[in-house]
Amino acid sequence: MSAQQPRSLPEHEHAELDPRLAPPFPQAALRVLRNPQLRKNVAHAIDVIETKRGKLVAEKTDWQALREAASAIRNQALEHLDSYLEEFEKNCTAAGGTVHWAADADEARGLILDLLRQENAREVIKIKTMTSVEIQLNPFLERSGVEVYETDLAEIILQLGDEEPSHIVVPALHINRSQVREIFARRMGLEHLSDDPKELTNAARAYLRSKFLAIPTAISGANFLIAETGGVVVVESEGNGRMCLTLPQTMITIVGIEKVLPRFQDLEVMLQLLARSATGERMNPYTSLWTGVTPGDGPQRFHVVLLDNGRSSILKKPVERQTLKCIRCAACMNACPVYRQTGGHAYGSVYPGPIGAILTPQLMKMEFAQSLPYASSLCGACYEVCPVKINIPEVLLELRSQVVDQERKKTSRIFDPMYLGLRIANLLFAQAWCFHLAQRMGRIGLRLFTRKDGWIHSLPSVGGKWTQTRDLRGFPQQTFHEWWAERVKETK
Amino acid sequence: MTTSASARQRILKSIRVSTSAIAAVNPSEESKAHAPLAEAYIRHGKLDRTTCLQLMIERLREYEAEVVECSPEQLGATIKDKLLASGKRTFVVPAGLPGAWRAAGFDWMIDDGHGAGRGLAANEIEKTEGVVTASFCGVADSGTIILHHSAQEGRRVLTLLPDWHLCILLASHVVETLPEYFDRCAQPPTLATYISGPSATADIEMTRIKGVHGPRFLHVILARDEPKVN
Amino acid sequence: MQASLFITCYNDTLFPETGKAVARLLERLGVKLDFSCRQTCCGQMHANTGFRGEAFSQAKRFVRLYQDTETVVVPSSSCVAMIREQYQGLFEELGSDSLREDFAALLPRVFELSEFLVDRLGVDDVGSYFPHRVAYHASCHGVRALHLGDRPFRLLGKVRGLELVQIPNADRCCGFGGTFSVKNAEVSSAMLAAKLQDVVSARAEVCTALDNSCLMHMGGAMHRQFVGMRTMHLAEILACTETSPEVQS
Repeated sequence: MSAQQPRSLPEHEHAELDPRLAPPFPQAALRVLRNPQLRKNVAHAIDVIETKRGKLVAEKTDWQALREAASAIRNQALEHLDSYLEEFEKNCTAAGGTVHWAADADEARGLILDLLRQENAREVIKIKTMTSVEIQLNPFLERSGVEVYETDLAEIILQLGDEEPSHIVVPALHINRSQVREIFARRMGLEHLSDDPKELTNAARAYLRSKFLAIPTAISGANFLIAETGGVVVVESEGNGRMCLTLPQTMITIVGIEKVLPRFQDLEVMLQLLARSATGERMNPYTSLWTGVTPGDGPQRFHVVLLDNGRSSILKKPVERQTLKCIRCAACMNACPVYRQTGGHAYGSVYPGPIGAILTPQLMKMEFAQSLPYASSLCGACYEVCPVKINIPEVLLELRSQVVDQERKKTSRIFDPMYLGLRIANLLFAQAWCFHLAQRMGRIGLRLFTRKDGWIHSLPSVGGKWTQTRDLRGFPQQTFHEWWAERVKETK
Repeated sequence: MTTSASARQRILKSIRVSTSAIAAVNPSEESKAHAPLAEAYIRHGKLDRTTCLQLMIERLREYEAEVVECSPEQLGATIKDKLLASGKRTFVVPAGLPGAWRAAGFDWMIDDGHGAGRGLAANEIEKTEGVVTASFCGVADSGTIILHHSAQEGRRVLTLLPDWHLCILLASHVVETLPEYFDRCAQPPTLATYISGPSATADIEMTRIKGVHGPRFLHVILARDEPKVN
Repeated sequence: MQASLFITCYNDTLFPETGKAVARLLERLGVKLDFSCRQTCCGQMHANTGFRGEAFSQAKRFVRLYQDTETVVVPSSSCVAMIREQYQGLFEELGSDSLREDFAALLPRVFELSEFLVDRLGVDDVGSYFPHRVAYHASCHGVRALHLGDRPFRLLGKVRGLELVQIPNADRCCGFGGTFSVKNAEVSSAMLAAKLQDVVSARAEVCTALDNSCLMHMGGAMHRQFVGMRTMHLAEILACTETSPEVQS
């Protein structure tokens, strides 16, 4: 049985999910669309969760009232974010925890490394947290000589398989059982492993047990921070969270500043919504709450790293602020008809799907990921399922106008047929006679492309994007307004 | 000033630009920090006690937890039966567990980590085959067992490492809805674990596999300490 | 009852038969319909692509055109959604007080077609006859923005001879999404392929909807693939009677 070899990592391990490097969504999506196995895996996973979720939501007669309450709680938290963060800090510190603040990813990574060095920690066990992927923590720690052991089953699959997460709750949903078997057999040296999920899970259980009992330092994220008590809440299914929260000596929790809730009692709303939205269960198997340090029980050194990394900037914007209400349930991506076809990697971001489409460009201060706000047909399914009522389409539209305003300043815009076409269309729509003239010209011009059956099979330029998979009815001989004008004349 | 302290200043300053702007636009009482929020969602259950307890049992069984009921007088005997049926010998318990529950004929390791005594080391707990604890509350709607890790419930590691957990739940501690549990908390707990079924993963093709980490076998004894209402 | 028809820019250009059907239908129901030849576009395409200033100028034009009209009927749920959901924000950002007031007064008088029939005229039986097997596609704007609910089903249910069949996953987006259909053409096509599987499985002769945008997207692919199903706007079905059957264009 081979010991896990430390991987030598290239500078940008998460290049696929780095918005600064990832190709634009249409390009990235095209690659995925040609992968039937991945599309099947994604659709299957989504169908399972959505069916379960649908049943439980239908059974919860106060579902809409809960959503309303959750939205109000999250709004209240954001409207007084400074007070609640200070309150959390005070209470957590009084209970024996240490609270640190990191303005950006660089600071957070440096801070965590310093804490690990204080402990002489050469190894850490880790609970899955997207926040750590956001700041690219793992490759940084590995380069700095700290071995990182992911303990979530999905995260082990990804880590051992050198893959990237594609969903924020079920990160390996794009990988099927035989692919997992292959990864485990290869990396854990288990040649005779079958692809039965039960056997695969047992393999992971055994592989991790020794690590839980031996490694004294752990890193986690958090689902919620409770301002009123200084408490931290972690919601999970597998129990690896509880292992990491209970057995080590030192616990470091990295969490976005927006995750704070005002009161302990707010959990009565949030927890009812979270599990139903995320995994289609009434409640997830294990929820842990702890406050600072409890002598004799769990880590005796507890650090919280509060991460900004662009969140306080988002708070400033009236329409976009609601993005920060997110509780990372992933219901939006499960409901999204775009995500269903492309999976998560196409978004080139740690946070994929509808929430990723609004969060990532903003975290990047609109300097990268400008294709993401357009990765949506604006169908509104995400808003319908969001437990905290983030109006994602509203934010998408706001971000699109910011992207266009950036484009307006670039000289290259005059070569963009879409941009030109829309600018010209606006001029045409300003005057009825312009619009009518354009219709007549279009009708004449398109005759070239219109076949005998009255349909257009192929168009150049932007039109070609339509006709690559769809025919287009040729322009009728008479527009509606021409028909009406004629009818009016006839009746006179 | 440390990086963290300087970051703290910068972050809070940045946040305050926004929060003060919001407050200027919306200075109503309702928007103040800690203002209570209107609740239109269901807080209190509608089921009678019998149905509520039945629901608790049903939900636990959906998770493949094994549930038996007994009267308070039969509790000791029921515990003994459960221990015998498990085929196991060595159990760990929190020091605060009632002595009467530690049936004779088994090896008992006592963990006193919270008190003046000795908390067992992880590798000692690893050698036990099961754990027996009390519980704070049960929530019927989701089949959730709640531990506040009191002296009778024990340190968190006790209900984590052993593969087999026998949990005593008093009927009078069972509520229907999650908000009712919060009502039962005179103050917020410092430590809490909410257990809704044994650990599970659905990470491989969404196939739910029981028992990744944490006890794979959960047994619950529901002690009917409430007067029977017809 | 008086009503002014806002045909929408794409219906005027590509689907005049829908407008003709609306005229026939409403006049049959005793509505005095008028049509302003000065109309152009509601601004949705620009607003949804991020061209807010441009969308504003079109939105303003719409309000000025109809501000003195009794009722506006629109055979396109996405355009009505644009007016209901985005006009206010545009006018708050870029408009004057008078424009905002005039819009506020106009808004309650703008109806999508099925809303006009069921809510304003108070009818669901409009005297139609269409002896075919029909599947109804519920476009996203109709479902989630306008909350049309069962209005289209009530109307279809009263059409004599019509057999209505269900499309599985009816609430799932067809993938049109306006400029999304070309900006993300491949993803749009993938969504369309999934949608067509569901639509075709309903084994209908006709797929209908309240939006020609969705229909041109689905119909365009069905035509390309020689699928034996055609698309028709709901207005065109409702316009058919025994004496005035479908007009084959």
